[in-house]
Amino acid sequence: MTDKPQSWSLDELQQKAERPIAVVASPSTASVARELLPYPHYSTFDAIPQDTAALVVVGGGALMDAAKMYKHQHLPSSQLVAIPSLWGSGAEVSPVVVSTENGKKEFAVDDAFIPDAWVILPDLVKALPEHLAHYGCGDAWSHVLEGALSPLASEELRNEGALLIKEMLTTKLSKDIAWFELSARACRLQSSSSVGLIHGIAHALEPTLRKAHPDDGWGHAKLCSILILPVMKLCQQSSSKWSDFAKAQSIDQQQAEGVWTSLFDQEAFQQLLPHLEANWLSVLRNPLTRTNHAMVRRKDIQFFLAEDFT
Amino acid sequence: MVNNIDKLSELLTEVFLLEPEEFSLELKRADVETWDSLGIVAMAVGIKDEFGYHFTPEEATSIESVQDIITILTSKGITFDG
Repeated sequence: MTDKPQSWSLDELQQKAERPIAVVASPSTASVARELLPYPHYSTFDAIPQDTAALVVVGGGALMDAAKMYKHQHLPSSQLVAIPSLWGSGAEVSPVVVSTENGKKEFAVDDAFIPDAWVILPDLVKALPEHLAHYGCGDAWSHVLEGALSPLASEELRNEGALLIKEMLTTKLSKDIAWFELSARACRLQSSSSVGLIHGIAHALEPTLRKAHPDDGWGHAKLCSILILPVMKLCQQSSSKWSDFAKAQSIDQQQAEGVWTSLFDQEAFQQLLPHLEANWLSVLRNPLTRTNHAMVRRKDIQFFLAEDFT
Repeated sequence: MVNNIDKLSELLTEVFLLEPEEFSLELKRADVETWDSLGIVAMAVGIKDEFGYHFTPEEATSIESVQDIITILTSKGITFDG
């Protein structure tokens, strides 16, 4: 087990980050980052001086993963401080790096990828589009559900998952900075167990959907948000695991299903369906699908095609 | 009515993504590429869903063949008499 990452305030970053510091911020966060982080800023990782002792990265999951890989390969002895612009991916606390190679999602997992510290900057949320905040909440929900129900989850993880689900049920799916902490906990939970079919589909379809519908904002968080309801309904057909878990942990199932329904988007799901059907075998072969909490069968694609989830 | 042999055959065919003709009661782990560590997890989930028995981690990792699965399930009172 690692004690990384530490949770720092902005003041702690000022005190504890080693010098010299280099900041790389995503374009959408650059102006806020320049205002709050009075250190040299660089637009690419390649521009960072090689004597950098602390790399501060501000942005979403993809930029954070790129920073984790860059630090690992080029600045292994430096500190990495992650400042997420959005909750959901949990990249700021996870040992996973996801990249897209030749149209396929690839993973690398190593505790060495975990940032040394992460910082919440509430100012970043002000400019955050509401729909991205919404999908970020769905991403966090998918992590806690699949992590807690995973066949690899220990009793301790299941208990932590239940606690987290109850907290999420009392937190609106909107721009609430409480989601940063909830999302980080959900991500830690799933990285200690596994994920399942929601992520198996999301990882198999994301590159395809981005290519086929480049203007429709398809990304990991949107996919996970939309898939929670259909996947949980499919799993409930063959497995009582969710229902048993919810009863044992006093989770209000109806309320939880209400949240999944709010995250569902029928129009987007219809757009996704032909791609799901065409790629169903890849989804079944995906390692993430194979740790789903209920068995997934070839014929299950018919459930998604036939069922009305509205 | 579907008997337990048929249920197990269908389940393992699905879990390991086999063609129906690839399944036999003599099938061994070494013969199946997808019978890896994740395949074991998926199989344990399927056995729980279909037969209501949850393999212990030791049982799940010790299984080397379809016959081993039948032996364990039979010892738990699940019959495979055809």
